[in-house]
Amino acid sequence: MKKVLASILMAGSLLLGGAAANADKSGGTLSFLVQPEPPTLASYISTSGPIGLVMPKVYEGLFDYNNDGTMVPILAESYSASADGKTVTFNLRKGVKWHDGKPFTSADVQFTVMDVLKKVHPRGPNSFREVTSIDTPNDHTAIFNLKKPAPYMMRSFAAYESPMVPKHLLEGKDIKSAPLANNPVGTGPFKFVEWKKGQYIRLDKNKDYWQKGLPHLDRIVGRFIPDASTRTAAMENGEVLYAAYNAIPNIDAIRLKERDDIDVTTEGYSMINPMALIEFNTKEGPFVDPAIRRAISVAIDRRFMIDTIFFGYGKPATSALSSNFKATNLHAEMPNYPEKGDKAAANAILDKAGYKRDGDGVRLKAVLDLIPYGEDWRRAGEYLKQALGDIGIQLELRYEDVPTWLKRVYHRYDFQMNVNYFYQLPDPVLGVHRHYGTDQIRKGTHFVNSSRYSNPKLDALLDSGAGEPDAAKRTAAYKEIQQILADDMPVVNLFELEFLVVYNTKLKGAYGSAMGAYGSFREAYLDD
Amino acid sequence: MGNFWSRYKRNHAAVFGLFVIVLIIVMAITASLLYPEDPFRLVGKPLSKPLTNGFLLGSDSLGRDVASGIVHGAKTSLLIGFVATLVSVFIGIFFGAFAGYFGGLIDDILMRVTEIFQTIPSFIFAILLVAIMKPSISSIVIAIAVVSWPGVARLVRGEFLAVKNREFVQACHTLGMSDLRIMLWEILPNCLSPIIVVGSLMVATAILIESGLAFLGLGDPNIMSWGFLIGAGRTMLRSAWWVCTFPGVAILITVLAINLIGEGLNDALNPRLKERQ
Repeated sequence: MKKVLASILMAGSLLLGGAAANADKSGGTLSFLVQPEPPTLASYISTSGPIGLVMPKVYEGLFDYNNDGTMVPILAESYSASADGKTVTFNLRKGVKWHDGKPFTSADVQFTVMDVLKKVHPRGPNSFREVTSIDTPNDHTAIFNLKKPAPYMMRSFAAYESPMVPKHLLEGKDIKSAPLANNPVGTGPFKFVEWKKGQYIRLDKNKDYWQKGLPHLDRIVGRFIPDASTRTAAMENGEVLYAAYNAIPNIDAIRLKERDDIDVTTEGYSMINPMALIEFNTKEGPFVDPAIRRAISVAIDRRFMIDTIFFGYGKPATSALSSNFKATNLHAEMPNYPEKGDKAAANAILDKAGYKRDGDGVRLKAVLDLIPYGEDWRRAGEYLKQALGDIGIQLELRYEDVPTWLKRVYHRYDFQMNVNYFYQLPDPVLGVHRHYGTDQIRKGTHFVNSSRYSNPKLDALLDSGAGEPDAAKRTAAYKEIQQILADDMPVVNLFELEFLVVYNTKLKGAYGSAMGAYGSFREAYLDD
Repeated sequence: MGNFWSRYKRNHAAVFGLFVIVLIIVMAITASLLYPEDPFRLVGKPLSKPLTNGFLLGSDSLGRDVASGIVHGAKTSLLIGFVATLVSVFIGIFFGAFAGYFGGLIDDILMRVTEIFQTIPSFIFAILLVAIMKPSISSIVIAIAVVSWPGVARLVRGEFLAVKNREFVQACHTLGMSDLRIMLWEILPNCLSPIIVVGSLMVATAILIESGLAFLGLGDPNIMSWGFLIGAGRTMLRSAWWVCTFPGVAILITVLAINLIGEGLNDALNPRLKERQ
């Protein structure tokens, strides 16, 4: 209790301090929720959510992206692509220094992409798969040489997706175990100061930041509060000012929204594109037959799941691609995705495919694994058990801890169906191909093609979709891809998750980046 | 028996406790008659308040009937309570009897083992066991049994130590009875009353542990229990109080009733208390 009181007092005094310096936006401490505590701070090795909340304040990318999708130059001032799209030249910003004082140069970019992201990053090998080499004619020019044009690559330069890391601290070391991981040295607006395990991560203002006048805040503190109702209370009493990725449960967010000093937004996730889904084991077990998977997709009342479990935040899936890809003309609505579910149609599909009900009305039995990320997903599992029970698919729910679950699904393939969610990211090549490509059956790598679905025709289409510079042809390729997937359904998409940001209205300037909470907060300030 | 009942009923609170428990058992047995639908079924409008939309005690976030959950959950909670207690009493008697009867090295070894179990905080140990075995009804029963037998073992050992040197036991020895027969047929019946009293209280503890595990998300996701209801409703306590309040009250009443019964059994079975009133 004393501790709580002390921290409230501290927060209070900091706020007062902030008010004094209000005129020029500068000063103040931003406490925000990081949930759960990150396993490491090596954002160049892991894309785990909590790491993304902290590290883009320390490491920067070549570009950032605005909510409308335009690129914001960060470490690169500009870029130009050759006519054939196979050479991309980046003009890097001059006068940028690492937090240890060493200059940032094109050698760092070359090293980061070729030796770090392409090798140890979960998504880097895909984002930069066409990059064969990077030339560095001088300190401020990096020339990417590509096998094939890769338009999607330009969407993956944000700090969360492709953080630029210091060559001089990683070169010659084993990248996965180098000490830089938890003593990060970046170029960003905030410097890493300390990580008190179980309590907080503290970042202080980088006084030598390359853009004069930024950042506004003196300090950012990422707090770890394991209990959801305590997190909500911390938000209510102003102890924390910002909470993203549903650190505040939806039901509380709806209540807090009514307050004058707290607001809620679904912005800041458009580059992330999270999609809730069911992965099926298509190689063995009860779901080898696509007809059953289709019937499941048809039976599910997606609207009900969104309204009851996520309190209305979400959009029913209508295809293998998120409707956010409408912006780039890649999304097409597909059959077998009824918004409210159609159990009669689902039963008809199963009857036609010859799955008879036994005396108890059961056609087949299966085990449903649930992503162990909290109560919402348990509710989702409980709903699915009921809904699929109605079409004769009797489910047993299995809820394990994270490592056991990951091992079961991605290392041993010892599962039948699995509720999960994937980030579709700003381009299907980055976020969607990894579900379906034969080359993405990578035993032991998380969040790739665990269904082990393999279809040469689809593989060819995915390849042409990735490398196609002509927009109309690309649209056509993805339409065909979505048709195949709506028929075969190796993965049944449920709904597009709309994560919330719950924030105190005195925090301003933190919402412009399309990266949202995974952004740098360099323009955030406190306004009392 | 008539004697036992007349002593038991002198404790009015204990009679009340027994009445409540019988009621709950009847409720559990007739669960499928009272609410024929699966308690997991989504039967109505989510988060309906009590006494609205046809829900006696309201509905939870998915539209499941809380009253149905409580009635069906009673089955699980009581079953786990009784089975876990039986298992742990059995293990406890086994360890305690051998340690108390044989003494010496056997006693030392068995009691050191018991102490190892006693030094680990029981609820945390139960969490660990369930997490390792993956949550299911059998793993929960095993976990509860494993953490609660040491108390019984120490109690039984003490009783055996006290009884084993009495004349009737020595007489049995001279008659040439086997050790096992003496333990089972001569000494054990003389130690039963404290075991019954402790066992009855353990049922209450077991129900609490099960609820605690389910509350933390370590319940069997396929089986309705009171802890499950509370765990599912706790995040919305402030906006939908009824989802976890009613199962909480059910647990409270049950545990209280069992404790009252335990008290009554103690009065009725403990010879030293006979003349107290």
